[in-house]
Amino acid sequence: MTDAKLTHFPDDLNPPRERPWFLSLIIHVALVGASIVMLYPLLWMLSGSIKDQNEIFGTASLIPSQFDFSSFARGWFGGQVTFGTFVWNSVVIAVLSVIGNVISCSLAAYAFARLNFWGKNFWFALMLGTLMLPYHVTLIPQYILFLKLGWVKTMLPLVVPKFLAVDAFFIFLMVQFFRGIPRELDEAAMMDGCSPWRIYWRIMLPLSLPVLATAAIFSFIWTWDDFFGPLIYLSDINTYTVQLGLRSFVDSTGSSDWSSLFAMSSISLIPVFLIFLFFQRLLIDGIATAGLKR
Amino acid sequence: MAIGASAPVRVETYQKAPSAFARNAPGYLFLLPWFIGFFGLTLGPALVSLYLSFTDYNLLQAPHLVGLDNYARIATGDDKFISSMKVTLFYVVCSVPLKLAFALMVALLLNRGIRGLPIYRAIFYLPSLLGSSVAIAVLWRQIFDGDGVVNTLLWYVLGINGPSWISNPNYSLYTLIILAIWQFGSPMIIFLAGLRQIPTDLYEAASLDGASKARIFFKITLPLLTPVIFFNAVVQTIDAFKAFTPAYVISSGTGGPIDSTLFYTLYLYQEAFGYFRMGYAAALAWVLVIIIAVFTAFSFLSARYWVHYDD
Repeated sequence: MTDAKLTHFPDDLNPPRERPWFLSLIIHVALVGASIVMLYPLLWMLSGSIKDQNEIFGTASLIPSQFDFSSFARGWFGGQVTFGTFVWNSVVIAVLSVIGNVISCSLAAYAFARLNFWGKNFWFALMLGTLMLPYHVTLIPQYILFLKLGWVKTMLPLVVPKFLAVDAFFIFLMVQFFRGIPRELDEAAMMDGCSPWRIYWRIMLPLSLPVLATAAIFSFIWTWDDFFGPLIYLSDINTYTVQLGLRSFVDSTGSSDWSSLFAMSSISLIPVFLIFLFFQRLLIDGIATAGLKR
Repeated sequence: MAIGASAPVRVETYQKAPSAFARNAPGYLFLLPWFIGFFGLTLGPALVSLYLSFTDYNLLQAPHLVGLDNYARIATGDDKFISSMKVTLFYVVCSVPLKLAFALMVALLLNRGIRGLPIYRAIFYLPSLLGSSVAIAVLWRQIFDGDGVVNTLLWYVLGINGPSWISNPNYSLYTLIILAIWQFGSPMIIFLAGLRQIPTDLYEAASLDGASKARIFFKITLPLLTPVIFFNAVVQTIDAFKAFTPAYVISSGTGGPIDSTLFYTLYLYQEAFGYFRMGYAAALAWVLVIIIAVFTAFSFLSARYWVHYDD
């Protein structure tokens, strides 16, 4: 296995080459065209939220004839509970999931990457095995377990597992990163009588901020986007997440208020979009590393 | 023997070998949360689900054993199983190769030293990141609706009267395949990173030898990229087998019209949480595991013949 950490992939590794101007032009025209195709659906949704009802369909134009932002208020306050409730529930679940994943997965990753104990390779192989296991297998018994515990209809089934390092992908990512940190550091600390806990807390974690941030960001986005978990465990509209709220909004408005549907859809994408905007580098390096270094 | 008198004075610097407990305890302590999760939420439930797959269980009465009945029903008499499996396989077979082809094509284009690479990369990655959210599925439903924007464009550009994609069983699955292809960004990023790993001196040597561009591509780029292609293919296929949200949202949970978008996971969900046939759903889950495992094993076996490793 290669000594891997989240390497920063420089953008100028392949500097722009000298090539005939028309070839450059063709490439850029192709890329700009592809970009428009990629972004058009999203922009269409955004513009649909400020268009007049009748204008949304039957035209492919992105620019509304008149700007009408009332759809946001209609969507936000229109339902049985306001959209703010859904946003709040999603934020609580996502933030707790981030905390849980970062703590529990980094603890496990530190043990696998740096400590020696009986059966380590065996447990590590099992942990990697869980990466391949589709969640459908554990779905029904987990549901029964949470039902017997009385946790169904609360957010506990969505949050508690995150504190138990169930997401092996993050452990794997962190193990890869921890292995790249020089061993001399914690060996020296151990010589000085540092306990494993202190090494983990004072040396490994501070040096691992990039990978912890990557895990936190992916954890947030995946929890925010999760539809299946909330669909199964949450049935009271007051506990709905944004994804469930949006779905119930689709069902309740039927085919009437498109612009407010688009407005709420756009709002549901904002957190992911903002994270993408600010942490693009970490996301891209994270996904590239996870894919390459096995 | 006179040991006592000549014994070394600095006994205290001599460290005892740590006991087995002291050696192993920290590792197990750090792994404690993972152990609870692994036994309580993964291994335990997996075993229970294996047991449930041989039972009839509706959550209200105790499960009672029915032997292989569930599996026998899957193998012989379940039309919905067959149609959902067909839909899922068709989706996997169409969406994964096309998605990977786009990802590779765009990655190759972007890797040619393009000005503005970070911007293009971001634009192409964004749809994959927004991924399986309900908003994207809702958006897709409207775009491909009878009077949606796709048909509007078809009319203005080509003069074609498009079908009602979502409500026509002949086309509904294609809209989901197009949605999957649109999200080619994350394999593209992995391809880009893979292309970066190919040593540039190989290219320099080849072009000094006067090799043509096509030859360089087929003799250097493609072989050295095969491990990444393999990884992307396996990951994307497993993900495609597990697709759920778009089909659920676009068909309002039914898998319609006429089961044309009844993905396997959607059928499993309906059996478990619609009809509370937990035993049967557990059997369906295990069949999915077997299918994914067989596919993965097959990929790894075939990899021997086409995946190129340096060492």
